[in-house]
Amino acid sequence: MGKCSPLLFASRERAGAAVRSALVALFMAFGTPSASADQGVYRLGVLPLQSPNKLAVMFLPLAEALSERLGRPVQFVTAPSFSAFMARVSARNYDILYLNPLLCSRALEHGYHVVAKVGGEPFTGILVVRRDSPLKDLDPAQLPPRLRIGFPDPGAYAATVMTRRYLSQLGIDVDRRFQVKYFGSQDSALMALYSGLVDVAGTWKPSLRSMPKNVRNDLRVIAETPPEPQMPIAVRNDMPPADADAIVAVLTELGQTPRGQAILGGMALPQGFVAANDREYEKVGE
Amino acid sequence: MSIVAPLGLAVPLMGSAPLRTALFQTLRFRLILSVALVHVVLMGIFAAAAVHEQSDRIELELLNRSRALISMTAVASTNTVLTEDLGALAEIIQKVERQPDVAYCEIADSRGYILGTTLPDRLGKRLSPRIDQSDSFPLAPGDPTLDLREAIQVEGQTVGTVTLGLSTARMDSAMRKTWLDGSLFILLALVVGSFAAWLLSLATTRKLHDMVEATARIGKGDLDIQLPITSRDEVGMLAIAFNNMVTSLKQASEEALREHRQRTQAERLACVGEMSASIAHEIRNPLSAVINSVNLLSGDTLQGEDRSQVIGILNNESHRLNRILSDFLDFAKIRESQPAQGNLAALIEEIASMLRQDLPPGKNIRVAVTCPSDACLAVFDHDQIRQVVWNLALNAVQAMGDDGLLSFRTVRRGDKILVTVADTGCGIQPDFIKDMTKPFVTGRRDGTGLGLAIVQRILVQHRSQLSVSSELGVGSEISFELDSSG
Repeated sequence: MGKCSPLLFASRERAGAAVRSALVALFMAFGTPSASADQGVYRLGVLPLQSPNKLAVMFLPLAEALSERLGRPVQFVTAPSFSAFMARVSARNYDILYLNPLLCSRALEHGYHVVAKVGGEPFTGILVVRRDSPLKDLDPAQLPPRLRIGFPDPGAYAATVMTRRYLSQLGIDVDRRFQVKYFGSQDSALMALYSGLVDVAGTWKPSLRSMPKNVRNDLRVIAETPPEPQMPIAVRNDMPPADADAIVAVLTELGQTPRGQAILGGMALPQGFVAANDREYEKVGE
Repeated sequence: MSIVAPLGLAVPLMGSAPLRTALFQTLRFRLILSVALVHVVLMGIFAAAAVHEQSDRIELELLNRSRALISMTAVASTNTVLTEDLGALAEIIQKVERQPDVAYCEIADSRGYILGTTLPDRLGKRLSPRIDQSDSFPLAPGDPTLDLREAIQVEGQTVGTVTLGLSTARMDSAMRKTWLDGSLFILLALVVGSFAAWLLSLATTRKLHDMVEATARIGKGDLDIQLPITSRDEVGMLAIAFNNMVTSLKQASEEALREHRQRTQAERLACVGEMSASIAHEIRNPLSAVINSVNLLSGDTLQGEDRSQVIGILNNESHRLNRILSDFLDFAKIRESQPAQGNLAALIEEIASMLRQDLPPGKNIRVAVTCPSDACLAVFDHDQIRQVVWNLALNAVQAMGDDGLLSFRTVRRGDKILVTVADTGCGIQPDFIKDMTKPFVTGRRDGTGLGLAIVQRILVQHRSQLSVSSELGVGSEISFELDSSG
């Protein structure tokens, strides 16, 4: 665990938007109290891939399992945005991270190291359309003009970075051929597609699997990117090795117990976790 | 004349000062007090019940509102707590703070660190455990804040905590206002009720006052008074009954007066007849003697010594007739008394001296006078009382033989002087005592029977009368009272 500045908020503005902007900026600069401020608690920071409430439903059981093994509370937290999340990562505000491979490579620069990753299926991005959409493939010559495409966040690795890179490799200039919209989270992007706000959505498979069945049945995958290293779990490099080892043990053993399987099922990661290291992520995004 | 005081009551009494009644004893005061007490008690109960009900309602409203607000805050802040979005939390806090009565609101994460608060200096600090002290009514004494705590939960797990404090100042102010309003209502009821009771009592007791004044006038002899009948209520019925009573009383009084006059007239006529008979009886014997004597003297049968004896009889009986007529004239011509302060002891001493000088030779009668200094001065008509004492003294001397004791005594009895003439004579027959003051009633053969009658008439004019105590063979005491002037 690293040092963390105490929470410093001198005052807050009255005007809502201005206050929010100012406080978020301050928050990004100094972060919230971490484990160093409260020696008894580990903070599990999860990249805001989906809505906070949904992420909480997915990761709270895991935090509880980690807490039981580590013998101390593990606090699940997420962030309002990818950028806010990474600002806290840079401030070493989290003790345990769950993020995408691209942001992981940046987290390594701020004193984190990878201890595990999602196992099983390859880490790919997917492009999804409504089932009744006329789009069957991504032939640049066949694409209608000014299609609308939605992404969770510019920093979403599989959903945004990998799919944009894939479209570019197909010869499609995303920013010129599509009207690009960002919706903040994977769920929001998929719901925007479902409700007709966009024609195509970039996301990844776990998010699609977590959608309600009726929504999922009305959507159709039209493309999948080449695989990349899976979503990693990283810890602060000042975490005691015993705790880091315990975390790896918990993660890799989840699939061996009914409770662990239930936790993985809730996270839409039935394949579980496997041990990993920094080398797999050092080159991601280059 | 009666005086009705503003608060108390004055009842006029004939011949004396008005009888005053204390304020709290009057019907008016008791009626006003009763109505005022009833109003105060009823309004007090009503106000207390209203305040209690409003208190419960306000407390329940505040409690429900605070619970709804904290629940909404917990729901609204779930995502922002999970994302630690302090800006969004600040907006939520601002909105909560704008709600009425909010004293403070704090949102903490699962570790207890405050992420959003209405108290800027507490941001980032640990959540205080103080709030669990008063999360329902009644609050602890001196605690002006209702404190609530609610966990922010996701899938049954607590990810944060909201604490909310609602000030009871507005509620307390409303309660004070309610109490004040209740007190004002009580006061208003007291004033209105007392005023109404005052009007009612005024209307009732005014008629009673009229009745009291009418009663006083009746006491002074005015039986022509009638009360006005202005209502058909109990007081009106009482006035009707009063008027009927006065009418009956007047009729009875007039009847009694008529009877009195008739009886007086009859007694007067009887007295005249009796007096005439007495005079005729008294003068018939000497007149018969005179007539017989004149007849005898007109003949030639009486010679020498017999003729002289008849002439003597004629002379004596003529004098007797003259004395009877003189005494009767004295009796009939008694003038009105003219009382004045006088020395009773000197008068008695003067009469005693005259008696001592005029006693016939051979009589051994002692005269004693006892007049203490506190029983000397009295109010009386000097000449008339002198005649009274003189007559009583002559009777006493005549009642005694050749030897005896005649005593004059005066004794003070309060504001009266008791004058007693006592003798050691033969005494008076008991059945004679009650008639001894009537005219022409005498116990002596040569008496006219008018001496004590004159005494009695004089004493009546002095508002006094004779008192007789006698024992046969021992003596008699005759007394009368005079007003003291000392």
